[in-house]
Amino acid sequence: MRRNLFIFGFGMALAIFAGWTAFPRALYVRREQPLEFRHQTHSAKSGLAQCDSCHVLGNDGQFSGMPANDVCAGCHSEKVGTSAAEARLVDGYLKPAVATPWLVYSRQPANVWFSHAIHIRRAGLACKDCHGNLGESDQQRLYEQNRISGYSRDIWGHSMSRLGRAPGDGMTMSDCEDCHRRRHVEVGCLGCHQ
Amino acid sequence: MKFSRRDWLVGSAGALAGLVLTPVPWKLLSDVSIWTQNFPWIPQPAHGPVETQFSACTLCDAGCGVRVRMAAKIPVGVAGASRHPLTRGALCPLAFAAHQLNWHPRRLREVRHKGRVASWTEAQAAFQKACGEGPIGIIDGRPGRAASSVYEAFARKQHGSYPPLLSAERQALEPYAEWSQVPVASLGYDLENARTIVSFGAPLLDGWGIPGRFTRLWSERAAGAADPGLRLIQIEPSLSRTAARAWRWIPIREGSEAPLAAGVGRVLLDERRVDSRGPMPPFTLEEAAAATGLAAEAIRDLALKMVENRPVVVITAEGNPAIAALNVLLGAVGAPGGIVLKRDDAPSPAPVEPVSGPLRAVLMDSTVPWEFAASSGAEVFRFAAWDGGGSSTGWLLPAPGFLEELTDVPTPPTSARETYALAQNLVAPSTEVRGAAQFLLQIDPTLPAVEKIIQARCEQIFRARQGTVYGERSIDVAKLDSVEHFEEQLRKGAVWMGDPPKHSKFRCELKEWPGANRVGRAANWVAGWDPPVLPALATKLYRESNLREPPAGRQG
Repeated sequence: MRRNLFIFGFGMALAIFAGWTAFPRALYVRREQPLEFRHQTHSAKSGLAQCDSCHVLGNDGQFSGMPANDVCAGCHSEKVGTSAAEARLVDGYLKPAVATPWLVYSRQPANVWFSHAIHIRRAGLACKDCHGNLGESDQQRLYEQNRISGYSRDIWGHSMSRLGRAPGDGMTMSDCEDCHRRRHVEVGCLGCHQ
Repeated sequence: MKFSRRDWLVGSAGALAGLVLTPVPWKLLSDVSIWTQNFPWIPQPAHGPVETQFSACTLCDAGCGVRVRMAAKIPVGVAGASRHPLTRGALCPLAFAAHQLNWHPRRLREVRHKGRVASWTEAQAAFQKACGEGPIGIIDGRPGRAASSVYEAFARKQHGSYPPLLSAERQALEPYAEWSQVPVASLGYDLENARTIVSFGAPLLDGWGIPGRFTRLWSERAAGAADPGLRLIQIEPSLSRTAARAWRWIPIREGSEAPLAAGVGRVLLDERRVDSRGPMPPFTLEEAAAATGLAAEAIRDLALKMVENRPVVVITAEGNPAIAALNVLLGAVGAPGGIVLKRDDAPSPAPVEPVSGPLRAVLMDSTVPWEFAASSGAEVFRFAAWDGGGSSTGWLLPAPGFLEELTDVPTPPTSARETYALAQNLVAPSTEVRGAAQFLLQIDPTLPAVEKIIQARCEQIFRARQGTVYGERSIDVAKLDSVEHFEEQLRKGAVWMGDPPKHSKFRCELKEWPGANRVGRAANWVAGWDPPVLPALATKLYRESNLREPPAGRQG
């Protein structure tokens, strides 16, 4: 009896260990960004202190998302520095006018409509409320893509259990609903799934 | 230590139990559910620049203002346009999902003749042959548009028939036109100034008139209030959606609306609750009570409720003069908050002379309700964007769907003011479609083109130099510099609304209390938006919520 209990417990412990360590590693495929980019360098040294210096929210409410080449070319039309990433940016993307294929951590599925203008201008949310401290990062994280759903890991959040998450860690529908509930904003299904 | 088979089983059981305490099953469940939503064969909206366009809804003749969100030039969302002066951002549930209609499985994608696939050339040849063999008829579900002028011109040239197909709302205004000699096109309901609306079965909150207009008024002045600023009294045998939300619902026996109206009229006259001295209704209060199933005191109470919070207007579902007479009695015709003039002079061109004999062929515009049946014996050329089911013995011709063709939206029948809007062809048709006007123009190129007619109408409005254009900003027409600028504004989704008429008073008198017969209605020819299909989203929101029962045997 004691032996059986031991084996049962061993199997259980092994599964729990594997489930919490190996499974997350196996679930996500890790991909490099096309360029090394440092938000902190750009905000501290280049005077681009505000997120909307590059991620522009227009007066008409249109959000530019990832900056287009001409935004980067404003400073990087010629190489600034001697790094390999700089050379790749200028020679590989800006000069031949090829859009940089950034892997967007917060890309939402196509069946969701989201307005940055409403959340920033009307609700007064800060960028970090949803995107966390991404704007202060000193190095690019690997982009982790779920092998089954195809979504970025940032959508689920970095904690597999989703317990004790930091603000801005996770962008699932439940996260949207929780925030709306806290702020007493009802939008219904059609608010996002138009 | 030796591991037996039993040990492996026990260990596996422990592992299974342990897995439940890990994210494995729960995360896999979540991810697999997302994966199933993203199967490669599930159509995905195209990715591209997102833009917002404004237009007018073309699902019915109301022309509510819509704001269309387009991604990669494809509509992916419809919402109300707050700039529209009548609807002010409100829409019916169907319009919210209208962008899905173009992708409906029952979208007509090819010409069909007697159930088999045919071509446009064959259809055109068959119609030309029919025109040469006998008189033809053209049925237009929404008269007054630029396309309607094409139909009328074609019918005249062919010595054919162009019979009016009146909406229920327009029929409801016909008695007043008859009694006042004011053209029915010049009459409308001044709902904005009404404080009590008595509806005899009119589905005010379920698609009547201009759906967005009443929805907006209701939300502002009535919804949720115990003593609302706008009282709606719904008289109807069943608890419809409108009845359920009305201030008062008065259930009566089916078909007893006219006796009830007569009973109410009797109370108003006997107790001198109204100024006018109209003819005495033929029913006594007791007779009305017996006919309707209501107590005499309930009818008297209804009459008092109608006059205690004026202006009051009575609305009927169709043209029933016995009910319309109540408005005359209440002094609601030609008065603010009642039946009002929407323009000083209404052009009333001589109608096309009806054909006396049988028709050789009938061409039906895509706005004609699917259930409408043409006179027997005629070869039918039916334009439709969606196949409503059933067996078709004639020609079925695929027409443009939602926002797939340029069309104009003239003044809706119930509006208290003249309006004019354009619905631009924002979307490229997904299949080879043609409108009925385009079809006729290919047969007879001498007919005026829809674009030209729209330009002429814009010029006519512009030359009058009155009214306001409600676009991104509202601008008086008098301040616009050119007709091209005016038309451009309309093409961008602006709405023109005319000024109130200078002479709003008109006389409307009753010589005798009318009978309950309906007027101005050709046999079985009733128009209204009765969609042959419903968009997927509206199916959930609309059909399953019992807002509108689909016709029996029909599938969305």
